[in-house]
Amino acid sequence: MNDAVRQRLFDVRQAFTDPVVFWLSIVVTSLLAIAPVVILALSRAGKVDTVRRHELMLRWRSWMILVPMMALPVLAGAAYFIVGVGILSLLCYREYARATGLFRERIASLLVVAGIGAITFTVIDNWYNFFVALPSLTIILIVTACILSDRPQGYIQRVGLAVLGYMLFGVCLGHLGYFANSPGYRPIVFLLLMATELNDIFGYITGKLFGRRKLAPQTSPNKTIGGAIGAATLTLILVATLGHYVFRGTPLDQPVHLIALGLIVGVLGQMGDLLLSSVKRDVGIKDMGSLLPGHGGLLDRFDSLVLVAPAAFHYIGYFDQVESYPWPRIFTGSG
Amino acid sequence: MHDWKLQPARDLGLPLSERLRSTHRESGTGELLAQLAWWGAARSYLKLAHRVDVIGQANLPKVPPFVLIANHSSHLDALVLATALPGRLRGCVFPIVAGDTFFETPAVSLFAATMLNALPLWRKRAGRHEMADLRERLTGGSCVFILFPEGTRSRDGAMGRFKPGLGMLVAGTNVPVVPCHLEGAFSAMPPGSNWPRAGQRVRARIGTPQTYGDELESRQGWERIAADAERRVRTLSPDAPVSTTDQ
Repeated sequence: MNDAVRQRLFDVRQAFTDPVVFWLSIVVTSLLAIAPVVILALSRAGKVDTVRRHELMLRWRSWMILVPMMALPVLAGAAYFIVGVGILSLLCYREYARATGLFRERIASLLVVAGIGAITFTVIDNWYNFFVALPSLTIILIVTACILSDRPQGYIQRVGLAVLGYMLFGVCLGHLGYFANSPGYRPIVFLLLMATELNDIFGYITGKLFGRRKLAPQTSPNKTIGGAIGAATLTLILVATLGHYVFRGTPLDQPVHLIALGLIVGVLGQMGDLLLSSVKRDVGIKDMGSLLPGHGGLLDRFDSLVLVAPAAFHYIGYFDQVESYPWPRIFTGSG
Repeated sequence: MHDWKLQPARDLGLPLSERLRSTHRESGTGELLAQLAWWGAARSYLKLAHRVDVIGQANLPKVPPFVLIANHSSHLDALVLATALPGRLRGCVFPIVAGDTFFETPAVSLFAATMLNALPLWRKRAGRHEMADLRERLTGGSCVFILFPEGTRSRDGAMGRFKPGLGMLVAGTNVPVVPCHLEGAFSAMPPGSNWPRAGQRVRARIGTPQTYGDELESRQGWERIAADAERRVRTLSPDAPVSTTDQ
């Protein structure tokens, strides 16, 4: 392990070397600080009733815990961030498995957990080829292991649920961790996390202001077309503007390319949200869990990242080659 | 064609403290791994320190559900019974334990729920509702219950009377009740002692299963079941007069 690798993985002193990270941290901290004041002011002015104020305050309190838990690993170093994403993947998969009933299938569930572990390993190791090979290899394991129990009744359901869970929470979410293998990953990850989470909040606000026609009432009765367009537009502006600073000097720093990145975050973020709503509707539950008061389960909050992470990863990689930085492989490499 | 059946966890959405104490609790992959580790350790300990000897394992039904009952005189009893069951049943074995002992403080309930996979029964308020919940769990799913019908550990090692609660679980169902007699656990770890005494041998004798499908769901029926189960456990005791009825 050479010094550059060690620095990228563990060096906390690098946290704020990038000015974008520094300024975004200040902005986010101040937003969290003034949020309760704004909520109280709106309540005083009679714009929100007591029930909604209570709900907003509950959400704000959850954010006070969530934001540091998301930001600190990114700031601390690549190793912490990658392990953090691995834990997030496992927790998200757990909620999915408990909601769909897949957790009763011991072998399939165990293989998905092992697959998520393997993904996390390849990401830390920076072994891109194995990272790309793992989805198909893990699927081979799942479909064959499920044959061995000799219960063809419900085979497709077992295997289908396991593969979907592994692809969404192991592979797709795993891409978020892989960003940390590029040298200046902190601003990129910060931008994506912040834009994806703000996308939800933009949708909430613009939906309240302009939302009339329902977007997909069967799937998610509260989503409106106005909210969706409003959120996508605001997210697009945010990503394109901040992206200009994050990707300065790279081929991605072109208005057209940045707008496309903004569209990816804005549209796929909302699609991830609707994806989870569809799962919940299909199963017939309201929330995935009770971990985050005001939000529901962990997945209710991180659903929008699931699709954004791989799409943004490969889009940025197309211009910037995130996946092939000349770092040595840490555990399996010779260097 | 086989339709998809998506059935969420029965304890979905419960806050952690309630989830641990819920009789609807279902454990996932993480808990299963913890249980495998715990029961593996318990099995090795019992084999090494108490030379546990299980007789009549062939009497155990091959598939759940069934109820394994025994005389109760030691904290080791549930460990001996659980480790006597084959490993493939791990994850569907639920010791029914006293809520007032194992589910009062958060740390102990976390241990009882995750490691032992125990379900609580509050002795003071075990009403029809609680028993109905457990009965539904037993008949509806693939569950093995480990139950001590005396309701408490014997203070002198002698077996006490069986309570009718067992009958409430199985009356009118086809769930087999498997009697088991435990010997030596009282000397190894009597009530009041904090640590087991290594070297004391423990022996478990498993008898033939019995179902109570024709028995009435009434006080008399439950008491008849309890009396019959008690007799079946007693006949397994080495001190019992040789019985010819069960063979």
